[in-house]
Amino acid sequence: MRKGSQIVLDCLRAEGVDLVFGYPGGAIMPLYDALDGSSVRHILTRHEQGAVFAAEGYARSTGKVGVAMATSGPGATNLITGIADAKMDSVPLVCITGQVRSALIGTDAFQETDVFGMTLSLTKWNRLVRSIEEIPEVIAQGFYWARSGRPGPVMIDIPVDMLKASMEFNGPVKFTPPRPAEHVGSESTFATTLIALLQQAKKPVALVGAGAKLSGAVDDLQQVLDLLQVPTFATVHGLGAIKQDSPYYLGMVGMHGTRAANLALHETDLLLVFGARLDDRVTGEPTRFAPHAKIVHFEIDPSQLDRVRPCELPVVGNLADTIPAFYQEAKHAHLPDFGAWRAVACGPERDEPVVAGLAHPTRNFLDQLFARMPEDGTGTILADVGQHQMWSAQRYRASSPRGFITSGGLGAMGFALPAAVGVQLAKPDSVVLCVSGDGGFQMNIQELATVHRLGLPIKMVIVDNKYLGMVRQWQQLFYDRNYAETDLSDNPDFVEIAKAYKISASLLTEEEFVDPARANDVSDKLDRFFRSRQPELLVFECHPEANVYPMVPAGAALSEMVFEE
Amino acid sequence: MHIFHIRYRNTQGTLMRILGATSRRGIDLPYVQAEPAEHSHRVTLLMDVNAKQVGQLCRDWHAIVDVVDVRPGVPIKELWDQAHLGLPHPPESVTAENSRAATA
Repeated sequence: MRKGSQIVLDCLRAEGVDLVFGYPGGAIMPLYDALDGSSVRHILTRHEQGAVFAAEGYARSTGKVGVAMATSGPGATNLITGIADAKMDSVPLVCITGQVRSALIGTDAFQETDVFGMTLSLTKWNRLVRSIEEIPEVIAQGFYWARSGRPGPVMIDIPVDMLKASMEFNGPVKFTPPRPAEHVGSESTFATTLIALLQQAKKPVALVGAGAKLSGAVDDLQQVLDLLQVPTFATVHGLGAIKQDSPYYLGMVGMHGTRAANLALHETDLLLVFGARLDDRVTGEPTRFAPHAKIVHFEIDPSQLDRVRPCELPVVGNLADTIPAFYQEAKHAHLPDFGAWRAVACGPERDEPVVAGLAHPTRNFLDQLFARMPEDGTGTILADVGQHQMWSAQRYRASSPRGFITSGGLGAMGFALPAAVGVQLAKPDSVVLCVSGDGGFQMNIQELATVHRLGLPIKMVIVDNKYLGMVRQWQQLFYDRNYAETDLSDNPDFVEIAKAYKISASLLTEEEFVDPARANDVSDKLDRFFRSRQPELLVFECHPEANVYPMVPAGAALSEMVFEE
Repeated sequence: MHIFHIRYRNTQGTLMRILGATSRRGIDLPYVQAEPAEHSHRVTLLMDVNAKQVGQLCRDWHAIVDVVDVRPGVPIKELWDQAHLGLPHPPESVTAENSRAATA
């Protein structure tokens, strides 16, 4: 006989789980009680949101399913932001929550919430377990749906009496889906149609999103793009999918993308989309998005097609299948030489105007940080949400597909620090650099305790402008400088806070950074910061009114970027 | 008005997920009927949506794990009349026009 709690852990092991993140409480105590006898390692965070973001970091950096667990009621509701984040960014995640005992469900019992109902719209799949016998099947199914197709979050809610009960257990089960996944076979005709579209096109471009990375099709995509040689750009989650030194690569596209990428996207007559949702941060004003283009959309999730406007050629399927299928046809086809268009789109006249601006020192600071990351692509940068996130996305030359991690779709402040915990645990020997703003860092600052407890050598940076910087930037540009409730000038002393958590910390001011006489000291400080094998925090105080440019204002087309206020 | 027939496996929450695809867009549902149908279940929904929303909804429903089939159609007169007899109406301020605008 095995208890429900033991069966849960047995099933997790069968799914390859060796690490879970969580926070205990009443309704999930039996599962914590069973951890001792299992080979599943539990990481205690200091808040359930920290646990779910850490599980996301683990999943985003490895491609494996991240697992977070929490108790009922507030424990479960604290997971919800992370679940929504995983849904938006297609992160495979399984959340397990304890629930009040079955007899009390629906009675507004202590710490009871309808987390099943709350997560219906945020998960790919969820279940409230109704009997101990269901547990093996539910867990197998949950992991299947988290991994399959477009990855995403799954929630499993288990009443505490199911965790305490016992039954004869014959071992974990395998789940077989009732509806087989659709595959694009070699007989597919889309490749012929796409080749015809390319033969008619004068200004084709390629847009690369997260799907290229999630599907493991990065090498295949590079092969296709090397063949086509069309101007190519990436979403924030597509960064790292394409080699930065590819002669046709134009960097990030969208609201804070490069001028060259945005202009090419605005002018194109054939847009090839590889695994991107085309959200509003990428398209600018949707009605003026790529106004001259036919769209060919490679996408695993059909619900993402035609969201902005109808595409001429949807290519539905796993990019790991569809891209090679296209390449096999394309390499034998007669394709036009797009050299003239490429020379315009990638030419120096498309570079951004040189505007020093108040953000210049901060961008240089980030450049100096990123230059110290390993060149072999083993390092990972995590960016929180806000101005520092966009500066990081603009400046980091990602050298590996999973080398840049951020909360892109949901834009959840407080993501980076706990996610960095998950990344560092997944890759204990790699350099993990966590860049946050002063606002976001305080949203999960308690995870410094987790970092200290585990001795994780995370390099934490706070870009401290004493504002909620991105909101302030919009207030400056679009609300007549009415800085309503974005002033954080009474921030705590982050260095002293870190020291209270027994974490080494130091301060670098912008004045110190730009002083040529102190250049060697600054360089030494950054070198020491990166050499340390202990947790380190570096607070960089930047100008409070530094802005992120280029910027496509809300309601504008991508071609209407601004470069200074 | 559009009508949709959605076949689904009657697993936990699947009907709610189907309805949620409409509620998240602020679309009123003057007629809903869910019933067993052969080896699965079927829900019939009547709603006022534009062509773009039809496409979005059908794709969203297809993406739900236990949805088996989605078929849009034209409502028959009896269903239309039934939907407008004694059923709760949206507030007067919510016309079909501004409802569409809000969800555009």
